[in-house]
Amino acid sequence: MTMDTEKLIERLAEVVEPVRPLARPWSRTTAWLLIAVPYVALIVFVVSPRADLMSKASEWRYVIEQLAALAIAITAATAAFATVIPGYDRKFLFLPALPLAIWLGSLGDGCVEDWIHFGPEGLSLGPDWFCFPAIVLVGAVPAIAMAVMLRRGAPLTPHITSALGGLAAAGLGNFGLRLFHSQDASVMVLVWQVGAVCVLAAMAALAGRYLLSWSSIIATTGRSVLLHRL
Amino acid sequence: MKRQSDDQALTTLMRAAQAGDAQAYVRLLKEITPRLRQIVRRQRCFVGAQDIEDLVQDILLSLHAVRASYDPRRPFMPWLMAITRNRLVDGARRYSRRAAHEVQVENMPVTFCDEGSNIDSDGYRDPEALRQAIQDLSPAQRAAIEMLKLREMSLKEAAAARETSIGALKVSVHRAMAALRRALIKES
Repeated sequence: MTMDTEKLIERLAEVVEPVRPLARPWSRTTAWLLIAVPYVALIVFVVSPRADLMSKASEWRYVIEQLAALAIAITAATAAFATVIPGYDRKFLFLPALPLAIWLGSLGDGCVEDWIHFGPEGLSLGPDWFCFPAIVLVGAVPAIAMAVMLRRGAPLTPHITSALGGLAAAGLGNFGLRLFHSQDASVMVLVWQVGAVCVLAAMAALAGRYLLSWSSIIATTGRSVLLHRL
Repeated sequence: MKRQSDDQALTTLMRAAQAGDAQAYVRLLKEITPRLRQIVRRQRCFVGAQDIEDLVQDILLSLHAVRASYDPRRPFMPWLMAITRNRLVDGARRYSRRAAHEVQVENMPVTFCDEGSNIDSDGYRDPEALRQAIQDLSPAQRAAIEMLKLREMSLKEAAAARETSIGALKVSVHRAMAALRRALIKES
């Protein structure tokens, strides 16, 4: 063993402190939801829920889409937490695929139905600039909580982890949005809300390199050790 | 069979290290270092001895930084191997980036007759004095030197890690270099 590595080991042992092992991904998702859901509820309460919420709750399409958005948030969060554990099972990455397929399938079916009933008019697309900032607002605290929790793990796949984290926060944001925003036309939801969720997940993926990098995590935890690497 | 019991022993040491047992941590790191060196040497046979040692140290630092991500109910080696593979890929990326910007020169051109300008290396030869000089820097200057010069982070990465601006980092590193120069000249 060369002297430098020997010294590094001694230094690491000098600064070692007890650490609490990270909980399993599902447990961490529960902890994340305990922070995120009250915030989403608060925002919905402050903005005030949509007037027809009770009647919407009995519409199967609305219920399926809301449950799918919530499931996307939960599964994407679990997948994100799994990716920061070295040696995790890669099957976790496909967890959000099923709720995502159900969400898109229901919206696609809605578009077809609108086409059958109203013809081309049923698929007319108007601007709805409210969706993007509203999803950002509702998803802000869940996204911050997610970032803080992800940084406790190993940045093995920063872009994928960050994209999944962004998808989880944006999915929850969309779930909250539809509790106070009366926009149910499938094509509008597909373009403006699913579009916003995809854009936010892509932006999170790009930020992954800065948010989750070995250099910053080592710098945060091992600053005192580094001086001994001379 | 032996491998299984080895892994069991390492798992036990890692659990103790997570509980803050320094002696168990030293034993664990000393046990795994030769294995890591062997793995790095086998997978990066084209790099020099110093680069191999740098990679091993990077893996040890990474292990230390994310030791909370080890699940004590699972075996230790697969966890360590996942970190090792990831850091090796990272190291290869860094190596190729550095190699792309390096210019290989067969013979060093002689520019002046003066002896001082014709030495092969201008590396500082007293690491102890250098370490002391770095420790004497202000915290901001030390962090700047540590990130930009020792760990070769980009200005952007270092600024993000320090949560400061690139301009402030440039100023810190400039002042730190001047302070180091002064301290080392005084020393010699």
